[in-house]
Amino acid sequence: MAQAGKTDAHKAGAVTREFEPVVVIVGSGAAGGMAAYVLTRAGIKCLILEAGRDYDPVKETAMFQTATQAPLRGATTPDKHFGYFDATANGGWTVPGEPYTNAPGSTFKWWRSRMLGGRTNHWGRHVPRFGPYDFKAKSRDGLGTDWPISYEDVAPYYDRTEKLIGVAGANAGLENHPDSGPGVLLPPAKPRIPELAIQAAARDLGIPCVPSRYAILTRDMPDPHAPRQACFNATPCGRGCAIGAAFQSTTSLLPMAMGTGRLRIVTNAMVSRVLTNEKGRASGVEYFDKSGTPRRIKARAVVLAASACESSRLLLNSGKAPQGLANSSGQVGRGLMDTTGTNIVGQIPALENRPRFNEDGIEVAHVYIPFWLYKEQAAGKLDFPRAYHYELGGRFAAPGGNPAGGLEDGYGAALKEDARRYYGSFISLTVRGEMIPNADSYCEIDPEVKDRFGIPVLRFHWKFSDHEYRQIAHGIKTAQDIIHRLGGRVTSPDLPPQRAIADGGWIIHEVGTTRMGSSAADSVTDSFGRTWDVDNLVVADGGVFTSNAHKNPTLTIMALAWRSMDKLAERMKKGEV
Amino acid sequence: MSRDISRRVTLAWVAAASTLPYAASAQDAAATPAAWNDDAIAPLTAPGYGQDPDLQNPSVPWPLTLNPHQRGILRIAADLMLPADKHSPSGGTLHLDAFLDEWISAPYPDQQRDRALMLHGLEWLDAECRQRFNTDFAGASDAQRRTVFDLIAWRQKIAPGYERPAQFFARLRGLMMIGFYSLPEGAADIGYMGNKPSLGPYAGPTREALAQFNQAMTGLGLKPAKA
Repeated sequence: MAQAGKTDAHKAGAVTREFEPVVVIVGSGAAGGMAAYVLTRAGIKCLILEAGRDYDPVKETAMFQTATQAPLRGATTPDKHFGYFDATANGGWTVPGEPYTNAPGSTFKWWRSRMLGGRTNHWGRHVPRFGPYDFKAKSRDGLGTDWPISYEDVAPYYDRTEKLIGVAGANAGLENHPDSGPGVLLPPAKPRIPELAIQAAARDLGIPCVPSRYAILTRDMPDPHAPRQACFNATPCGRGCAIGAAFQSTTSLLPMAMGTGRLRIVTNAMVSRVLTNEKGRASGVEYFDKSGTPRRIKARAVVLAASACESSRLLLNSGKAPQGLANSSGQVGRGLMDTTGTNIVGQIPALENRPRFNEDGIEVAHVYIPFWLYKEQAAGKLDFPRAYHYELGGRFAAPGGNPAGGLEDGYGAALKEDARRYYGSFISLTVRGEMIPNADSYCEIDPEVKDRFGIPVLRFHWKFSDHEYRQIAHGIKTAQDIIHRLGGRVTSPDLPPQRAIADGGWIIHEVGTTRMGSSAADSVTDSFGRTWDVDNLVVADGGVFTSNAHKNPTLTIMALAWRSMDKLAERMKKGEV
Repeated sequence: MSRDISRRVTLAWVAAASTLPYAASAQDAAATPAAWNDDAIAPLTAPGYGQDPDLQNPSVPWPLTLNPHQRGILRIAADLMLPADKHSPSGGTLHLDAFLDEWISAPYPDQQRDRALMLHGLEWLDAECRQRFNTDFAGASDAQRRTVFDLIAWRQKIAPGYERPAQFFARLRGLMMIGFYSLPEGAADIGYMGNKPSLGPYAGPTREALAQFNQAMTGLGLKPAKA
């Protein structure tokens, strides 16, 4: 992307004096990128403040590098938590100089990226839509809270967002898994052999297994400012994508917004507070540059797109302590949710020694198992509420791991035979399920700990309930059934759900904490992300989630951000902001 | 006496009886396994590559720490572990000793755990060979080295008293598998054909792969995939 319009924080003063932004957006990932895209197209001058460094996927992505070129063959380490070549820069479960804490008895892990484009540079890119039930879950089972909007409110924005980011997939016509509009989806990729095996067993057990939806182009997407190429069926998406096939903010939304001439980006700008005027309206933000020098920027409106927890932290650190800003409801930080997760692996003798071919494909899983038991659930036949899906694995994987998957034995010629025999014979079924928000899972300001800028950090409280454990138990059992139907053996440890479930935050789908609602009494924002208390302050990230359907959140974050930014632009045009 | 206790006692007898043949054969060769040194090993403190390394120019910033003797044991062990055949060269030829040196010299917790296990394990291989054959591992013959490996290499046939060395061997094998099959020669051996760009839709399974798969599914009473 063009360097023009990007500035480091320590030189930002001159840029903002000459440019005079109307809206300041905090964050440059899925939500911040979308906010900038929509607002600049509406003619509004925007400034993005990004806490991390500048990042250029075209120059920096390790595309074809092999494991042998990386230290430790690319293994995960405390420096690179998803492996050496993962796109994440200066981030992961820990960020240098920027701690967070857990209350006694709680384990919550918080993934952050300190780079332009945020987590979109490496994300999973699996983008199922929320369905009608997902926005009105309380009405179905009495738990949690309904959204103040319904699927019909978001459906047009799903279509637009999918078309903009590019989604490969197919309409399956399944209950609560909405189809996309005509001409929206790009063709899906043909399944690999292990995926066909899972599909055959699943269908035999009455379980659907359909093309997955991924934000990966299978057709070129021309654009004057952000031309993106179709996937060339190679290289891992988690490293980022220099050709723009796998969606990320840095190769799509940001350059498109920049192309309007109405966006400036300031990197290494760690926002610490939202500033307010005597009328209680947002007047701008305060941020620190890399050297720790505090700076201020004025704006007519402020958009928070820093990620759910980071935006909550900002609100709690703004206004008057201890309540913070936009928190008359007391709900900022509350309603924190992640996705439930566990992974079941099996070895399938029928897949041993199979004929070799290139099984890279479009890297992600080409098929998945969407939730299929809504009727049984409605009839009271299941012992858990809400749904889950399986993301699938199994292929002739790129070198870097142990091809025998730990089943090897002995040494010598037999060991080499084990490698050939077991390679490509494993399948995995990864559960991704919906968690019900609960009173014991939230974040707040730690009373003592501060980060390297002196900004108070978050302290997390976390607890799963039996709802999640019973759902995970069902997911484990069904996955085992699929493996057994293929004549396979389960090779992952057989753990009780309380131990099998991933820690809070581990799935990196943390949402909630600035929930939208229909009343200022029990929610932080209205249905357009506008905070009830501060008229010109809008939350555009996953903080506004009222519930967290098992469907990976980023598509919904972007669709809602688009909808909220349309509303903000409309209000600004009318002179309301 | 409850039925439970008597059943437990019976199981203990069975377990004891099943170890007898190994105990006898171990006695033939050596009275007891060589001692396993469990001394704590001081952690390495070199810096790692940090959270924002240059991905286009990767480098290993920490110094290698194995001595030539230790590297020699690993090179010989790699040749026995993954010997040359018509598909690929041997592990020693592909310098798995260098990979292991890089691995155990890394200043990260997982690698430091492996380092303690590897250093004790290499020491033990020498000690066991000395006890049995009056020479260290490097000085022993391949047949003698195999005698030692056979005590610790096979999951169901680990000689009693050799559990710690067997744990070392399993980890050494796992690391050598990673090291070997991540190399181009190892990848060619197992038949990895990817990391090559192709334009247009993904081709999917070959006709041959699909035919074999459908036969396997039919064997399991499952519906085959459409061609």
